[in-house]
Amino acid sequence: MSELVTLLDDDREVELRATPRSDTFFVPADELERVTGWALKPEGFCRADVCVPVGDRDALVADDGLDLRAFAGALGRPVALEPDAGVAVLGEAPTTLRGDLESLVAPAFTLPELDGHPVSLSDFDGRKRLLFAWASW
Amino acid sequence: MWQELHEELGPQGLVIMAIALDEDPDTIRHCARDESPVTLTYPVLMDRDHLLAEHYGIVNIPTTVWIDEQGRIVRPPSIAPADDKFRDFTKVDSSLHHTALRRWVRDGVAPLSDAEIRARQELPDTDVQQARAERRLAVHLLRRGDTDRAQAHLATALALAPNDWTIQRGSMPLRGEDPFGQAFFDFYKSWEAAGRPGYGA
Repeated sequence: MSELVTLLDDDREVELRATPRSDTFFVPADELERVTGWALKPEGFCRADVCVPVGDRDALVADDGLDLRAFAGALGRPVALEPDAGVAVLGEAPTTLRGDLESLVAPAFTLPELDGHPVSLSDFDGRKRLLFAWASW
Repeated sequence: MWQELHEELGPQGLVIMAIALDEDPDTIRHCARDESPVTLTYPVLMDRDHLLAEHYGIVNIPTTVWIDEQGRIVRPPSIAPADDKFRDFTKVDSSLHHTALRRWVRDGVAPLSDAEIRARQELPDTDVQQARAERRLAVHLLRRGDTDRAQAHLATALALAPNDWTIQRGSMPLRGEDPFGQAFFDFYKSWEAAGRPGYGA
């Protein structure tokens, strides 16, 4: 039986229909494409003009959808799942992050101030910026 | 100190953005009050999901990143204590950072070459990225009150990233541990034995 699952996909939080089974979720192909932009085609998972090959297609595809864990594996992205609680987290692929960091282009972000008002790095384009990461711990 | 630097260097073009890798805005409001007797006038942002840590490769706090007018990183994440209060632990002379910052803002002197920046970056491996995903799942479950499942995923994250302070010390309040107590000193000892990884100043 499919249910509503919360997917945390980088900085987005979205809901999708999926079926929890053992240690993964099976997501209908059209649903996976809707929330991630990736479609399963003969050449592999494709988004825009990029395709990544899929190793074991039989293990990926079931009657009720595509294995979310195998999908993440094909893209080299970390995935953390809690099928019983209906939550999935897709992290960023280490190779993507490494490439982004080595480009020395500051990654864009938007985060809320203490009162919830969103502030973006790009709000201060054209100025020198110092990011100061801190915490109570 | 950051408020002072903000007031000193703001008119010369610098924008300070503070980002709290913390779960509760109220905790940060209290810390901000302790940090400065005056109201902070730079933005203080909440990063409950540690997205900044993930995208910038931040593994500890307090850390600064310098970004120029064109949006390029000119100094990668580096430990930058406000002052020398904890110098026995940090082994960092805080004034070096602030002096270099003034030279960059006032005189336009870039502190590092591109090669030096890349050499200092903390690039994520598969384990750290998996740990960050597990941590994120755990805090989401904690917010729902699903404590047992949350703690199991936190434990997975801890095992995968033994020297990442944002995951180790940062999760102590979520695990009922005191980040200034025995749990911290135990972590500090094992991190020091590992050669103080990820602590470029």
